[in-house]
Amino acid sequence: MMTQMGTGQLVLAATILVPLVGGILLSLIPRSFSGHARGYALGISGLVLVMAGWLWANFDPTVAGMQFEIDVPWIAGLGTAFHLGVDGLSLPLLFLTALLTCLAVIASAGINDRERQYFTLLLLLEAGLSGVFVSLDLILFYLFWEVVLIPMYFLISIWGGPNRAYAAVKFFLYTLAGSLAMLAGIIALYLATGAKTFDLIRIAESAGHLPAALQTGIFIAIAVGLAVKVPIFPLHTWLPDAHVEAPTAVSVLLAGVLLKMGSYGFIRLGPGVLPAGFTAIAPVLAVLAVISIVYGAALALVQTDLKRLVAYSSVSHMGYVMLGISAGTTAGLTGATVQMFSHGLIAGLLFLLVGAVYSRAHTREMAAFGGIAKVTPILAGGFVFASFASLGLPGMSGFIGEFLVVAGTLPVYPVLAMISAAAVVLTVSYLLWMLRRVTFGPLNEERAGMPDISGSEVASMAPLALLILVVGVLPQSLIGVMQTTIESIVAVLAR
Amino acid sequence: MGGTAQAVAYLWPELIVAITGALILVIDLFLPRVGEEGASSRSWLAYVGVAGLAVAAVATAARAGVETTLFDGIIVLDGLATYFTFLFLGIGALSLLLAANSVPRFTRWPAEYYALVVWCTLGHMVLASAGELFTIFVTLQLTSLPLIILIGYAKRSGKSGEAALKYLLLVLVSTAVLAYGMSLIYGSLGTSTISEIALQLGKAERIDSVVALGLVLLLTGFAFKITAAPFHYWVPDTYEGAPTPTTAFMSVGSKFAGFALALRIIVATTHVQLDWPLIFGVMAALSMTIGNLGAIRQVNIKRMLAYSGIAQAGYLLVGVAALSAAGVASILFYSVAYTLANLAAFGTIINVAKATRSAEIEGYAGLAKRAPLVALTAAIALLSLGGLPLLGGFMAKFYVFLTAAHEGLIWLVAIGVINSVISMYYYMRVIYVIYVREGDTEPLVLDPSATLASAVCVAGVLALGLFPEYAFRLANEAAAVLFR
Repeated sequence: MMTQMGTGQLVLAATILVPLVGGILLSLIPRSFSGHARGYALGISGLVLVMAGWLWANFDPTVAGMQFEIDVPWIAGLGTAFHLGVDGLSLPLLFLTALLTCLAVIASAGINDRERQYFTLLLLLEAGLSGVFVSLDLILFYLFWEVVLIPMYFLISIWGGPNRAYAAVKFFLYTLAGSLAMLAGIIALYLATGAKTFDLIRIAESAGHLPAALQTGIFIAIAVGLAVKVPIFPLHTWLPDAHVEAPTAVSVLLAGVLLKMGSYGFIRLGPGVLPAGFTAIAPVLAVLAVISIVYGAALALVQTDLKRLVAYSSVSHMGYVMLGISAGTTAGLTGATVQMFSHGLIAGLLFLLVGAVYSRAHTREMAAFGGIAKVTPILAGGFVFASFASLGLPGMSGFIGEFLVVAGTLPVYPVLAMISAAAVVLTVSYLLWMLRRVTFGPLNEERAGMPDISGSEVASMAPLALLILVVGVLPQSLIGVMQTTIESIVAVLAR
Repeated sequence: MGGTAQAVAYLWPELIVAITGALILVIDLFLPRVGEEGASSRSWLAYVGVAGLAVAAVATAARAGVETTLFDGIIVLDGLATYFTFLFLGIGALSLLLAANSVPRFTRWPAEYYALVVWCTLGHMVLASAGELFTIFVTLQLTSLPLIILIGYAKRSGKSGEAALKYLLLVLVSTAVLAYGMSLIYGSLGTSTISEIALQLGKAERIDSVVALGLVLLLTGFAFKITAAPFHYWVPDTYEGAPTPTTAFMSVGSKFAGFALALRIIVATTHVQLDWPLIFGVMAALSMTIGNLGAIRQVNIKRMLAYSGIAQAGYLLVGVAALSAAGVASILFYSVAYTLANLAAFGTIINVAKATRSAEIEGYAGLAKRAPLVALTAAIALLSLGGLPLLGGFMAKFYVFLTAAHEGLIWLVAIGVINSVISMYYYMRVIYVIYVREGDTEPLVLDPSATLASAVCVAGVLALGLFPEYAFRLANEAAAVLFR
């Protein structure tokens, strides 16, 4: 379907093109401009955020299909096209990408080495991430998926911590290996449907009729690539290393958006394209998801490094997302999608807080802190807020997501649902344990002169805190957007 | 068929290239004698060569639509020949650019070097349109002999001479094997024209074992030329020892000359009761694996690219194993993508070696600061070799794997995919050194012509990655010729 170029189409294309072109221009601007690089990047990413907000405002939540579609032929011989569009599933993630990139730029005040390159890479990363969420062509999807790797690799390996080379290579090779398995799956899908197209919508129409065994085989190949990105146990080991070495802003994007590429792919390519294959391996996914929940939380409990703790908590929280997806019910999928969005906000906030603490103390060992609430009450308050959001306190976004996931899983996998609900005890333990060691208790004398939160830190954190509350109190503001889309996905599964 | 004069009229491109080589030498004769330092004043002769090849390209374009055979099938002019002719002209011109300023740094006789590159290109071109076994044999010598001299051109470097000697000995062995194979085929079938051979094999009930042996021996010569395992042992030493412009030239020229000569023969003999997909599949798997595992351990970038070249031959062989029109088309597309990426990488090596006098990967530390654009071309070239999306290398690999999967060679695609991950490790390691490691900071003095060649190649790599449509179509049209 060749659609007319309306404002919506142009804006959607611009969410990819603006950061892409903006990034390339920044790298070409003379070196003397370096001092303004952050302001420039803020302008670009702010513009993208405005456009994403515009799309949200003009999105019609009652329509199940794709909106703002663009379909321009690209390689006719292969059957690929620049086919973009958003639905209730991808729109929140596109918005999340724009928001977190913008905040990541604000949070990058501490970067004072090779600024131009740093912000160039950040903008290219944004272009890649947006591209993944709005691509409706499998080759295009795969291209953006891989494009994300390069800026991430450099962001970790140039501006990362002392062990950055190892972490960056591990991240790169893990995800590359995964995505090549995914590519093999995509090729198999292309050949199996025989439709001579990589168009997601058209493939979805024909792939559903493939024999279940073939669908399962293809989906397993694709799932490997997605699972690495999520990451699901046992493919998660790259994540803590990457997080610990990455600079703060990069950790925010890594946990906030990058991991969502995987879970988004599971929903988009699983129930949406290969329902029988998805149904076949869903029980395995559910079990792995619960292992991720429990194992991630258990590992978080024994960490001494603040960032590593938050990293393992991400493994655990993404487990809920995967559990909700594998349940395949309306409540489960809604919960998973809310949890994706919510985890992006909460993990982003937590990493910003850890970054703020690290920039003051130059250590992340929890033993080096204690009682910081006495000297930095606002920062400590932020920690308490984010921790409560993370452990799923009602009234905050984390609660809605996890509650819906457990409720949606209960009728399908009652035992797994109960284990995952019980695992909240672990979550509460490691978060309270962290709060006790870092913010409360007797003041560690070394931290006596620690300054409280700064203006730019507030600017980077406050929007996240606000949204956590908005989604928590008015979940319909988010669920309303995705409801129709999710119902149509569940309808496909039920057939 | 018309007379000889008319046949010659078709061969303008080849004649122009032959004359260009001679012209360079004649001009050189009339230039004043120069000492060691004055050699660089001759670098403009390389541009004479580039101009000559460009004129030949125009002549080739004028001939493009022609479908005919000359001299009773000795020369076949068709879409495939045209495609390869363009490729070899491009390789020749880019190699001359790479060589223009770097060759005078190690020799007093740059003019002869340029002329030999031009003549070697002529050999490649004739191979592209050779339709008869003994023509192939003779033309192969026309490509191998200049190459031996080009490899040994850096007389003062012991490694260069050693590399030339190794190459010479292996050329002799492979030539002997090739000649033996050809004589077996000719002896059994009584013809040496490929089209005749195909006709006879098509009619035969079952294949004569002597002919089968002959074909296998032919294949050996082919594998040697394209640096496929298990005939790859000479590659790392020769690539490392040869002067860098020579290595660049042979890494693509000689490799695709091998494909040009082999594709016709392989496709013509598809009816033979040899399991071609299995034979080429195993060869592909071996090449990919041996090449990639070998490359990981290298500390010298030329050796690394040598092993990477063995691995890339493996990916190309995946396309051969597919043994379909799409498979051949994927090889043709791959050949362009690989040529551009590889020559861009060698352009970087020439630039860096000019400053560091070595090709050790360690010497690339800090390159991002010393020469940002050279660093960027290197990064793009290496990522394309690794097969990262948006670059030509990805499209090429994707296309090869797609066609192989289409023919049911899933196991081979799986091996190829795993190998791609391994290869990314060592390509990324170089990029890591370039961008992350601290090193010398003084700006690099660039070699203008090599930098130009790199830039042209990188532009091509990007174009192939973003807008592959046109190249896809050309490759498909050229490949279709073989399957009519």
